[in-house]
Amino acid sequence: MSQSHALINLKIDGRDVQIAAGATILEAAETVGIKIPTLCYLKKISPTGACRVCVVEVAGADKPMTACNTRAVDGMAVTTQSEKLGAIRRQVVELLLVNHPLDCPVCDAGGECDLQDVCYGQDVTTQPFAAEDVNAPTIDHWPLIQQVPNRCILCEKCVKVCHEVIGADSLFLNEKGDKAFIDKDLAKCEFCGNCVQVCPTGTMISKPFKFKARPWELRKTPSVCTLCSAQCQVSFESKHGKVLRVTSEDGVTVNDGTLCVGGFFGHGYLNSEQRLTTPLINGQPVSWDTALGKVSSELARVRDANGGQAVAGLASGRLTNEENYLFQKLFRIALGSNNLDSPARFGLLRTIKVLRSQLGLTSSSRPLASIGNAEAVLVFGCDPTSEAPAVDWQVQLAHRKHDARLVVADPRRIKLAGQAEVFLQYRPGSEPQLAGALAKLIVTRGQADSAWLSQYVGNQSELLAYLDGIDVAAACTASGIDQALLEEAADHLGTAKSVAVIFGRAVTHAANAEESVAALANLALISGALQGDCGGVFPVADQGNTFGLLAAGVCPELLPGFQANAAAGADANGILAGIEKGEIKALYLAGCNPLVEFPVSGRWKAALAKLELLVVQDVLASEVTAMAGVVLPGAAGSEKSGSVISLDGRVNPLRKAVDAPGEARPDLAILAELFTALSGKPAPSEATLRQLTEPQPLAPGSGSLKGAIPALTTPATAELQLLVGKCPFHFGTVTTCSPANLELAPTGAVLINPADAKRLGVAEGDQLKVTGPVGSASGKAMITAKVPAGLLTAADHFADLNIQQIMPAGANCIAVTAVKA
Amino acid sequence: MADVVFSSWGGKVVDNRQGGEPQPAVFKLPENYLGEGRISAFMGWDGIILYDREVDVVAMAAEYMKRVQEKYCCAKCTPGKRGTRVMMDTLARIVAGQGKERDLDTLTDLADLLENCKCTLCMTAARPILDSVKYFRSDYLAFMRGERTIRPAKGYHDKVTAPCTDRCPAHIDIPAYIEEIKEYRFDEALGTIRRNMPIPAVCGRVCPHPCEKSCRRALVDEPISIMVLKRVPADHEWMHHQQPPMQPKAPTGKKIMVVGAGPAGLTCAFYLALEGHQVKIIDMLSEPGGTVAVGIPDYRMPRQLLQREADIVAALGVEIEYGVKLGRDVTLAQLKEQYDAVFLGTGAFKSKPMGVEGEDQGYEGFSTGGIHYLRAVALGEPIETPKRVIVVGGGNTAIDCVRVALREGAEESILLYRRTRKEMPAEPYEVDDAEEEGVKFMFLALPTKLITENNKIVGVEVLKMELGEPDASGRRSPQPIPGSEYIIPCDLVIPAIGQDPDLDYLDQGDYGIKKTRWNSIVTNGGTMMTDNAGVFAGGDCEYGAMTVVVAVGHGRRAARTIHRYLTEGRVYLDEADAMEDIINGLGAFDKTENVGIAGGLHREHQPKIQGAERTQNYEEIELAMPESQAVREAERCLRCYRVGMLAVNG
Repeated sequence: MSQSHALINLKIDGRDVQIAAGATILEAAETVGIKIPTLCYLKKISPTGACRVCVVEVAGADKPMTACNTRAVDGMAVTTQSEKLGAIRRQVVELLLVNHPLDCPVCDAGGECDLQDVCYGQDVTTQPFAAEDVNAPTIDHWPLIQQVPNRCILCEKCVKVCHEVIGADSLFLNEKGDKAFIDKDLAKCEFCGNCVQVCPTGTMISKPFKFKARPWELRKTPSVCTLCSAQCQVSFESKHGKVLRVTSEDGVTVNDGTLCVGGFFGHGYLNSEQRLTTPLINGQPVSWDTALGKVSSELARVRDANGGQAVAGLASGRLTNEENYLFQKLFRIALGSNNLDSPARFGLLRTIKVLRSQLGLTSSSRPLASIGNAEAVLVFGCDPTSEAPAVDWQVQLAHRKHDARLVVADPRRIKLAGQAEVFLQYRPGSEPQLAGALAKLIVTRGQADSAWLSQYVGNQSELLAYLDGIDVAAACTASGIDQALLEEAADHLGTAKSVAVIFGRAVTHAANAEESVAALANLALISGALQGDCGGVFPVADQGNTFGLLAAGVCPELLPGFQANAAAGADANGILAGIEKGEIKALYLAGCNPLVEFPVSGRWKAALAKLELLVVQDVLASEVTAMAGVVLPGAAGSEKSGSVISLDGRVNPLRKAVDAPGEARPDLAILAELFTALSGKPAPSEATLRQLTEPQPLAPGSGSLKGAIPALTTPATAELQLLVGKCPFHFGTVTTCSPANLELAPTGAVLINPADAKRLGVAEGDQLKVTGPVGSASGKAMITAKVPAGLLTAADHFADLNIQQIMPAGANCIAVTAVKA
Repeated sequence: MADVVFSSWGGKVVDNRQGGEPQPAVFKLPENYLGEGRISAFMGWDGIILYDREVDVVAMAAEYMKRVQEKYCCAKCTPGKRGTRVMMDTLARIVAGQGKERDLDTLTDLADLLENCKCTLCMTAARPILDSVKYFRSDYLAFMRGERTIRPAKGYHDKVTAPCTDRCPAHIDIPAYIEEIKEYRFDEALGTIRRNMPIPAVCGRVCPHPCEKSCRRALVDEPISIMVLKRVPADHEWMHHQQPPMQPKAPTGKKIMVVGAGPAGLTCAFYLALEGHQVKIIDMLSEPGGTVAVGIPDYRMPRQLLQREADIVAALGVEIEYGVKLGRDVTLAQLKEQYDAVFLGTGAFKSKPMGVEGEDQGYEGFSTGGIHYLRAVALGEPIETPKRVIVVGGGNTAIDCVRVALREGAEESILLYRRTRKEMPAEPYEVDDAEEEGVKFMFLALPTKLITENNKIVGVEVLKMELGEPDASGRRSPQPIPGSEYIIPCDLVIPAIGQDPDLDYLDQGDYGIKKTRWNSIVTNGGTMMTDNAGVFAGGDCEYGAMTVVVAVGHGRRAARTIHRYLTEGRVYLDEADAMEDIINGLGAFDKTENVGIAGGLHREHQPKIQGAERTQNYEEIELAMPESQAVREAERCLRCYRVGMLAVNG
């Protein structure tokens, strides 16, 4: 890529081509539709020039040049087809085929092999060369991915995608000469599967997919992945009604064809034994009519006997916009209950309330790609690699390829911390002070755009006065950050013309989430993150459609479209208390598992046992379906249509790839039938619901943005704290039923710093009992320097660890004690 | 040197196999390889050189290709990876007596195809094979007919190099680190540099980069910006607050004293510490870097970065004590007694005299030398720079003096040089920078007399010169124009003619260490050891005032030989050292080569602070090159690797 925008003129095969200086011959040829054969070329990585298939002749040069990595210059005359070039290309392919195994019939790439295509295209029909066969053994000990070196053409696409796009840097070239092969540092592997996706031959193979289907047998259904809120555009590839793999296409998708461990391997849950395939009453299969009849009659009975306030519902980001809309309508209209909520209560809802009131945002301020073009990126209390990998790839693009400065603020030494210019390893609880101090430093160094601030920020003087009152030295002490380092970070953010501010779960789920988000919104205003076309503010949520869920009004205080609702109603915490008091007698869970995902999950377990009616509409059997009176089997994202909203506000259509298994039904159909049964009215059609859930973007006007005056919270002084978050290999409670993801992380674990482990006498793999104010949980200890001394971390996907049973509501970081169990 | 029996080196065929009047061909190859024996043949990127007709060229070709494929082929392109493998197997079959005549066609075809390789390693490795098939076909046929069996040489020794690597006195694997930059692997690039050079932040800024004079890309369009690309990964580590990954080996219990914390001393200490030795450095100054610290102003080489490089060396367990001068505070005899080995890296801190009337009179306003002026400014010593300053000389030190004088408040800063701008040894860009800052140049001007009033300088008498015929160095020597004397008024004269080592400490005892007639230390045979066993020397004190990178090369070589001295009790060059020197003698760059590829690309330049305002401070002028720009520059590199192998016979 060139910084220069000057245009140059050249001739390719006699045709005039004009292109920006810095472009390669291959790129120039592409613009006029001249096809030069390639094998190792992949647009999203730096050119490798390994295969030499793309040789062309350049007038004035004695030797052929490779089109993929030779820059076009003004006045160049290029020939792409000639007898000489044909001979070179043929010989090169012949060399590639020396000792290439003849196992195409059973090779996974058969039918989608670039080597086959190039052989065919270059008319390679003989083999004049011979060499002793190195016959390298197949590498089978890596989880999920098999490597067959004999089939490798060493194009290095996998190595470069792993390093340049993913930033994992796990793959490397080992050995010399003909013995060279692609090797892997397993500790660095993110198991994103992109090496498999970009492999032009059958060298890198997905073990779960191996021998499942021939490529041409697969039906491709373009849709989106809903395992996280970035919502990558994917294709569900199915055969005989089963999704067998997920792929994505380069160049035409927002994720540029890149996938993560969730997108590539996580679909395994779709075909899991745990799938719910028939409605159940008290664990026994029943017909849909029986089940729905029971649900509607019981809900009506409870409503009629006790009023709508005796009924409550919890939905989730696993439902579509339409489903969530109908869910709230079912409760508000058909059941007369405003007791409805979702897991967003503990995170994103709190965040969006702040962002909406200050910045008018209900999702990020700019599309994801604006991160990749920002001059500086701040990642604050978020591990994008785990929470929304597509955000990570944008950070990689910005930082690695576009010279963006990267500042990471997080209590954990996450992957991005190791890549950042500045890593601010703060103490949890100090976030508002830290963000405030950064904003203050930018202002005091004269790096804030005061003209823009006066135009757009209504209370600019109030904001500046607030920042003026922030004590930078005190913030450094509270957060445990060296002031010089903080100043350097402020300099990176303050001097950049565009800034992306990304924050996630460590911020949004914290006890001080409102204060932290407000402080980050202030920092976004001050650093110019809301100006221009690059950068922006990016809140990251863990569940796939949480943004759509909130837009649909699944909470007592907001109606669809974020309209305030004055009607009384219990939120998740109120619902729990209501059940405990016996006031709420019927609970409807739609894709929601409070026994694992909600704080005080132990209390939830006891509460659910007290209900007169527990209805669970979900796709997988779980501890919560085991307790349910009625279980309604729903459809997963690839099994239904509808729309979802990503963290950057895109409305993405889901397309149905396969039918839900057994008798399971799309969730909208279930909800519609119940709505009609309980209200006597027809449910709105999917198309109507789609219109109703269409977001209405706000354009910021003069003075419409607001600075906030958040309280400066302080960190706890406990010797040991526990931070609850996400495991990089799992997404919510669905991938815990995906065999591939379970191979990587079979159980919940507690991450502990080596110093703490030593102090507590804990060895890797020992059971560690962690006790907090509301309970204890035990899990396998995983010793790692990624967490600082004094901090434990655990993820909330697994019922076996069930870390949420020790978490109070509204907090993600608490003082704990830990002992070897 | 023995007569050449056959040579195809450089495409020029000399064939004396049929006897008769031998055709001459002279190569800078030594007659013997270490103590092993006579060098009988050399095979490499540019052909074959044969000194002994008994050498089995076919066997040598087979061995050469085997080493290329198994030891050096990076496997990063198809023709290289598979082509050399097919060639290796084909040659192996031939020497095993199983070859067929058509195998020779395969070798020829592949040699052609290898011209399409990604880099020149395998490409040039095919050339001697092609020559062997062409000029020793009957030998091949003899193998095929079963008339011959393999006669390997007593020993083969090989080396991979590149023109830039060979030319670099520190022999950094330049193509490797450039490739790593191209692949956005800045940490790996720095690791590669540190294998040969522990002070990349310095040599990425102020190295005279001889490597760029041997860059093949220059034969196509413009040389690669090798020096700046060395700075990029160093900046990357520094700007990312990364800790260098090096870890010393287990302690050996051996103690080494390094005298001088300049480039040679730091380098020597770095590599010795990595081997697990206990190293102490003493330095007469109050900070690390030697001439780099006090002779190169901060706007070119910020001292906090020099300090960081020294901190990295110290972090390996090296103790550095400042303010201790050899000869003043401690004697060499004492060091010899207390340490298992001593490395002298004492630099060249004595200014050369200008040779003008009155310079030894101690006039006020006459500086003892450019290096002293720069040092006094750098160390913040109380010296005053008056309004009108004249600096005499044409090298980097002279340029630094005129530019520093401006920053120190001089209103007029004039450089006097007896030749023209073209002949100035200073880097052209620095001359341009000085001019941009307001320095005045007076060329073809020879100072002849200091003009004084009351023992104080008030001016310099200057004689006008004109350029005559080129001298031995190729530069046109200046001739005075009789009667052209004139006087330039000034308040301070700084001679910056050059520096010599100050070796007074060698006269304090009977050490048996020889000095050259330029007053530098004599070391032996590339081992860097003096005639006093256990005492080694390198850098300016060994070579005379030279470059940072020469000092680094010396420091590293000395560390290697000191390690052998301490662990094996013997000082010698190993295969890597010996082959490095042999190939360096032969030369790996052919400036007449037709590279034959499409070019037309300009080299990238790092951003810099422009304009005369920069004379207001000592802030660094050349700014860090953005990494995307560095990648673009790295993409221009042609990776000119080449493998040479020699045969030794008894």
